[in-house]
Amino acid sequence: MIELKNIEKYYANKGVKSYILRHVTTSIKQGEFVSIMGPSGAGKSTLLNILGMLEEPTYGEYHFMGEDVTAMKERQRIELYRNHIGFVFQAYHLIDEMTVAENIEAPLLYKKIPGAERKSRIADVLDRFNMVAKKDLFPNQLSGGQQQLVGIARALVAQPSIILADEPTGNLQSAQAEQIMDLFKKLNQEENITILQVTHSEKNAQYGNRILTIEDGVIKEDVSVNG
Amino acid sequence: MFKLNLKIALRNLWKNRTITAINVGGLAVALSAFILVMMYATYETSFDKENPNYDNIYVVGITYPEFKTYYTAAPFAKAIKQNFPEVESAGLVKEGSFELTIKNGKNTLFTNKILAADYNAAKILNINPNGGLIKPAGDVERLTYLSNESMKTLFPNKKDNKPEMVGFGASNSGITGIIAGSIKNNLHSNFTFDGVSIANELGKNDNYDMNDYTICVQVKPETQVVNLEQKITNLYQAELLKSKAGKRIDEVKGISTFLDPLSNLHLKPKAGNDAPYKTLIALSVLGVLILVIASINFTNLSIAQATKRAKEVGVKKVLGAYRFQLTTQFLVEIFMQCFAATILALILAELVLPNFNNLFQTHLSIWHINNGLYWQLPLILGVITLIAGIYPAMILSGFKPAVVLKGNFSTSKQSYWLRNGLLVFQFSVAVVFIIGLFIINSQLKYMSKEDLGFTANQVVYIKNISIFNDPIKFEPVREKILKIPGIKSATVATFIPGGINGINNYTANGIKANIDFVDVDFDYFETLEIKLKEGRLFSNEFKTDTINSAVINESAVAKYGIKNPIGQTIRGCNIDYKIIGVIKDFKTQGFETAIQPTIYTIKDPCGGYKTQIMLKIEESKMTEALANLKSQWSTINKLDGEDFRYQFLDELYGKLFKKQEQLQSIFFAAAILTIFIAILGLFAFAKYITNGRMKEIAVRKILGASDIQILKLLNTSFFAIVVIANLISWPLAYILTKKWLETFAYRIEMPILPFALSALITICLTVITVSIQAQKAVKSNPVDALKYE
Ligand SMILES: Nc1ncnc2c1ncn2[C@@H]1O[C@H](COP(=O)(O)OP(=O)(O)OP(=O)(O)O)[C@@H](O)[C@H]1O
Ligand SMILES: [Mg+2]
Repeated sequence: MIELKNIEKYYANKGVKSYILRHVTTSIKQGEFVSIMGPSGAGKSTLLNILGMLEEPTYGEYHFMGEDVTAMKERQRIELYRNHIGFVFQAYHLIDEMTVAENIEAPLLYKKIPGAERKSRIADVLDRFNMVAKKDLFPNQLSGGQQQLVGIARALVAQPSIILADEPTGNLQSAQAEQIMDLFKKLNQEENITILQVTHSEKNAQYGNRILTIEDGVIKEDVSVNG
Repeated sequence: MFKLNLKIALRNLWKNRTITAINVGGLAVALSAFILVMMYATYETSFDKENPNYDNIYVVGITYPEFKTYYTAAPFAKAIKQNFPEVESAGLVKEGSFELTIKNGKNTLFTNKILAADYNAAKILNINPNGGLIKPAGDVERLTYLSNESMKTLFPNKKDNKPEMVGFGASNSGITGIIAGSIKNNLHSNFTFDGVSIANELGKNDNYDMNDYTICVQVKPETQVVNLEQKITNLYQAELLKSKAGKRIDEVKGISTFLDPLSNLHLKPKAGNDAPYKTLIALSVLGVLILVIASINFTNLSIAQATKRAKEVGVKKVLGAYRFQLTTQFLVEIFMQCFAATILALILAELVLPNFNNLFQTHLSIWHINNGLYWQLPLILGVITLIAGIYPAMILSGFKPAVVLKGNFSTSKQSYWLRNGLLVFQFSVAVVFIIGLFIINSQLKYMSKEDLGFTANQVVYIKNISIFNDPIKFEPVREKILKIPGIKSATVATFIPGGINGINNYTANGIKANIDFVDVDFDYFETLEIKLKEGRLFSNEFKTDTINSAVINESAVAKYGIKNPIGQTIRGCNIDYKIIGVIKDFKTQGFETAIQPTIYTIKDPCGGYKTQIMLKIEESKMTEALANLKSQWSTINKLDGEDFRYQFLDELYGKLFKKQEQLQSIFFAAAILTIFIAILGLFAFAKYITNGRMKEIAVRKILGASDIQILKLLNTSFFAIVVIANLISWPLAYILTKKWLETFAYRIEMPILPFALSALITICLTVITVSIQAQKAVKSNPVDALKYE
């Protein structure tokens, strides 16, 4: 599903190039659950952003579902967001003025999904996440873990083929973190959704079936785990 | 999706409701001002526009070396029509300058303006009596129509449109006439009247010496006007040479003609005052500026909220929103506020309209379909939505999700210049208005305090149509008037101060020049308390005073460069006048025009009719004297004694100030509005900024900063902005007000105080506004602010 070949990323500052990523070559298949690990400042978020097409690599080839991402137009990229990619953020990034239900509805509106189907899908996810009672609350009325659940629900409701999550449990206590990780695992196994997460926690990484370790912008390790 | 966005927008606005209210309120005020300006502009620019031939009608004017005029000779109209096939039709009009008394039994009508027009002119100018325009039969018949209002005064119960018999002048005069019907006096036309008199042909026996009429022509569409203008000039010069006017060829060469389009006549006539046009331009600029300033409030607040909105943009983009969808969303948000402001503005405008109409002497109405609001308002709504929404719609929607979602993202750096630039702009405009207001005030104060050189107080001007050119005729009238207790002096003249004088050619000291003339009677200078500089004034004791004596003013002495004027000769109208006195210049024309060289004579066969009676009355006996005059007037002035009508000269003279007072009111409103709106914006902006810095302030307080230090911290940047705005505005205001002052022949020195005051006012207002906001931050407990985060 994802093919990276020789991806490089550097920032040129006063003529000095500071490399964030070097020679990153790897591929990720449909249905994998990959955890990206590494010390702070290693370039994990940068790699995830490139995978999510939020940043462009300075050099290298990136194919997403067989298509060359570097040659893509803005519109095509947005189509991918609508139909294939779901994002989950460490800081949740829910829209404060929208209720839980409205936050979850937002991606469906951009996908132009008809009203009736929207309703049933939202009801579905809310049910699944045990949040029916909370659907009319605003984000600031929820706990961090609940907010992140809404964040994931929002990513899921559009039925993406891949979820990109940058430290999804970074702001959460371990009990809540476990809940989220269980959910990811379930999604990956039952619905065959590809999951790519950045994490600092060895424990969280064990939920997946593959760990990429990055240090100083280079892939140091690529191991499979049997979670 | 639209519904959801709308819901979110409303929630957002509600959350910031104070700021929203301030923004919308400020915009509503600005818009209402703009709506008034637009209505006024539409009205002012559409005089006579209902005329079907509006674009093809011109008035023929003459350019003399000294001045331009619309008065030409009657036969020239015929000549134009005959010589130039592109001229479809040419007609003559003349405004009656006489006050006419028309009577029907006990009902009396005083008319000021009876418009005389020939049939062609009536057709060109779309003068249509009720029941249609009829061609008068033969040469002598005049069809006179009275305006609907005038007709109502004379015949209150008249329902039909049949002709009526009326009397002219005093009821014993025996002059009667027929009123053919009534006509609508269109106030939205250059040609207004109390009545019109239509003839088949006017000025039939006139020659090129008699410049009594105004020619209007209707040309065929596609006519090259510049070309025609040149041809008409050539024709006029040729006709002048041919005629018995006795002009020399070099004199004729200095005279040319021009064609002034009907569309120019109201606002910027070539032979006349373009002050209405300038007022309109000034008003439009003011209206636009106020609107821009109110729109800036939106942009500034959008900038203040940008950091927060940026996150929303980032999230929505990764959820699959196109940029244009976000642009639309922001525009809709702004549009809703602008729309609400428009509704409010219409209500506000409706409320102040009576005052506005009063000030500009207009009859504007919002609910009138002709005022163009129905298309102007939506247009303006669109434009301000764009101006106010350009920042969020264009900049915010362009943010890259990867950048804005990073957590510590802040837009304050990127928009720093824009935001401060806009604030500086707002305050610069406000400062210019404040300075302008102060300087206009000073000039007006100067005008009301300055010695005019004559005293209009307690001078009563009596309307009269009997002619007193011969002093012997006026003498018995004066005698009877002076018998009334309280009346100090009485005189009669061709013109009253504050009106327009006549112009004639006089030669003195070998110089020939056109100067103003006023034909007067004894006691003219005494009545008006005009001061003598040298020589003497007219006096009964000198027999020659009624034959060939002249008094001239200082300007005339200067114009002719006469060394010792007393006893010298000034020649005009085939009379060698002896200068017996020189009076000090006095300002009859207000402060804008320089005092014209003027000659005063008692005998002047070339002059006008002496009909303007002026009396000086003791203040304490005024009421009594006026009552006595009224009761005795028929015996005093036998020829026009039936209807005693008077005016106080100072009221008449006060009309000259009307325009300046208008300007003062406008500037007052504009200055207050801009300052108000800018301060509103600043208030909202400071509120938002201080809220955003709560945490910083809390940290500083914990670190030991005093309240004063924090107030200073918050005020510094705003203080700098206002100071910069002042520095920018000063030269601008200086240039603009200097230009305005230069329109006055008599004016104040450019004062410095307004500049200092404007700085003081804006700085004080800013510091107060910001401090009110900062106060809250200072007072709050730092722990709360930090806990909240
Ligand atoms: N716009 C930029 N300009 C220059 N350097 C940048 C920029 N953005 C990121 N970097 C640098 O890139 C490096 C990698 O950043 P990245 O956010 O990918 O790290 P990370 O592995 O996600 O770290 P963490 O675990 O702390 O989130 C960092 O050293 C950072 O300083
Ligand atoms: Mg990171």
